[in-house]
Order: sequence, then structure tokens, then C-alpha cells
Amino acid sequence: MSILPSLLAVLACVCFVSCQSEEEIKRERYITEGILVYKGNCANCHQTKGQGLAALYPPIAKSDYLVNKNKVICLIRYGQQGKIRVNGKQYNRPMPAHPQLSDLEIAEVVTYIYNQWGGEKKVTDVKSVAPVLEQCRTELSNATMK
Amino acid sequence: MLKQKLTPVLSRPASFWAKNKQWLILPGFLTLLWACGGAGSDRLPILGQREAITKTVDGKQVTDSVYQTIPDFAFVSQYGDTVTAKTLDNKIYVADFFFTSCPTICPKMKVQLKRVYEKFKGNPDVMLLSHTIDPAHDSVSVLKEFAQNLGVTGRQWLFVTGDRDKIYDLGQKSYMVTAQADSTAPGGVIHSGAFILVDKDKHIRGIYDGTTEEGVDKLMTDMDRLLAEQAAPKS
Repeated sequence: MSILPSLLAVLACVCFVSCQSEEEIKRERYITEGILVYKGNCANCHQTKGQGLAALYPPIAKSDYLVNKNKVICLIRYGQQGKIRVNGKQYNRPMPAHPQLSDLEIAEVVTYIYNQWGGEKKVTDVKSVAPVLEQCRTELSNATMK
Repeated sequence: MLKQKLTPVLSRPASFWAKNKQWLILPGFLTLLWACGGAGSDRLPILGQREAITKTVDGKQVTDSVYQTIPDFAFVSQYGDTVTAKTLDNKIYVADFFFTSCPTICPKMKVQLKRVYEKFKGNPDVMLLSHTIDPAHDSVSVLKEFAQNLGVTGRQWLFVTGDRDKIYDLGQKSYMVTAQADSTAPGGVIHSGAFILVDKDKHIRGIYDGTTEEGVDKLMTDMDRLLAEQAAPKS
């Protein structure tokens, strides 16, 4: 009889833990996939440890540019032209677009980048990435129509 | 009974070896002689095509093998001056093919070639020669900015541009690497990630994978060997 409340408590605990670990499992899954996307599409220029290459390609690791997460999401798919300033240094080399990356792959690589070098411990979900990409697409097509 | 039956079977091969022993030594000895008199075990091979040339020396017919060499060329460096084969006289050098806007293997190659540059910096016997395969985009000023951004100063590492067909021709025929335009490839050009080591006689002495650390470690070891070999005055 008196065992019931404690049983419920244990059940609640199990539930809580499994919910937590489900989120954690998702994070790990995103990161694992993100590493592969990073190695295949980013590491050539930005290097495997995200340190960049001399004054040619800016670093991603400890980069102050990471505060603009929406910009980061968009430039991965649509590329980036002209001068940019990272950690006080100016870079001026175009970054190619990656139209072949899906919304999910971009979400995964962003999750990896921000967990590895941006001090985050959470998933950047594909559900939050998709509208950002959609907005950039509209803005870019408007800009080219003008 | 059994033993008697077996003995002849066993002794036959043994007698065969014994009988032919001296003949077996001969090819082994010849191989040894060829290896010593020929290349020498610690010398790098000379790569590429070779042809037998028969000429007359002191009234006798002598056959000699002539190795492929890098022919003369004329390109323009990141400083705007002309670079020819003569610029590389009395140097061992590493050649490669790339383009500045290449998103694929070139950045890897440049990271690796930078290691070579750092290791042999200031060595008057060593040069690096990077040919652009996208001269339409990679003008002198683009190459200069690229070199500066990479942290390269001075004339030890030259980035050259020039006539596209001549660069492709030299790459394919003389340096034995692939380089060709391909609109389906990222950046519009496909090319090899090879580093080619050329000696002071303009012979190719090695081809290395310029995209990996192991490949370039091997290149640097071989450069030390080649420098040691070619430092000695010719007899």
C-alpha cells in the first residue's frame, strides 16, 4: 500500500530521465551527422579543428561571427561574398554556396559547430532552421529580381 | 618398404637443387650488381619516359638512356615578372597545380605545401612552384593577394599564371598530372592533388599525394635525400 507513492515517484523519475536522454540522444545524433557534413563540406578550407587558414579563410572556432546564427545558417547554403570581419581581422574571399545540403544537414552541421565551438549544449533543430532558410531564399530572390 | 619407396622421391628434388646451384646464384649476383651499379639503394628513382639514344663517343657507338625532363616554359609570377625553367636552375623544386577559388582539395594542398615552405624556408637550393589552372580568374594581382593571405613572402614560393593551354599541356605531358576544365566539377576544373618533386637536372624524382599529411611527410623526407644526393659536386 505504502509502496505505491514511491513506485510512482520512481516511474516519474524514469520518465524524466528517458525524456532527457531522448533529447540528449537527438543532440548526439545531430552532432555525429554534423561532423560528417563538416568534414565533407567545410573542413577543406576552415580545417578540421575550425581554426581557418592564415588570412585566407576565417576561423569558426572561437569566432565572434557565431553570434549571427541566422546569417551562419544562410551562408552555409547560399554562400557569402565580399568582405567580412572575424575576430577583428578582415577576410575577403568568396565562400561557395552549398545548395546540395538539405535543411536537416544544415541543422546538423550548425548543431555540431555551435556545440563544438560556440559554447552551446543544445540541438539547433531542423524545425528552427527551415524558416530561416526560407526567409533567406525569399530575400535573395527579391534582391536578384530588382 | 615404405622408406625405400620414399627415398628416391625425396632425393630427386634435392639433387636437382644441388646440380643447379651455381646457375641459381648467377641471376641473384647479377641483380645485386645491377642494383649497386645502377640506381643505388638510397637514391630516388628517375620517373617518366626514357628513350635509348645511340651516339658516337670517341669513335665508338654508345647507347645511353635519356630521361624525360621538364622543358622550358614562360609564365608570370605573383610579382608580375617572367618565370622560366632557368629561374629554377640549380634548385630542387616542388610543383603543383591549383586555383585560388577552388573549394575542394586546393586548400588542403596549400596547408600541406605551407608545411614544406616552413621547413625549407631560406634554403637557397629549394623552391616551390604553384601553377594556377584557372588563369582567366587568377591574374597576377589575385595570385599576389592569395600568396600574401597565405603568409608567403619572398621568391622561394612562386605562384604562376599564363596561357591556359600551355599550363595544361605542361601539367599533363611533363609533370604527368591531370588538369582539365570540367563544368560538372565544383569550381569548374578537375585536377590532381599531386606534388611533383623535380631535381636540379629537371628530372622528376617523385610524385606525392599533396592532400594528406603522410604524403607530404614522405615528400619532405625525399627532399632531404635529394638535397644530400645533389649537394655533392658532380664528378
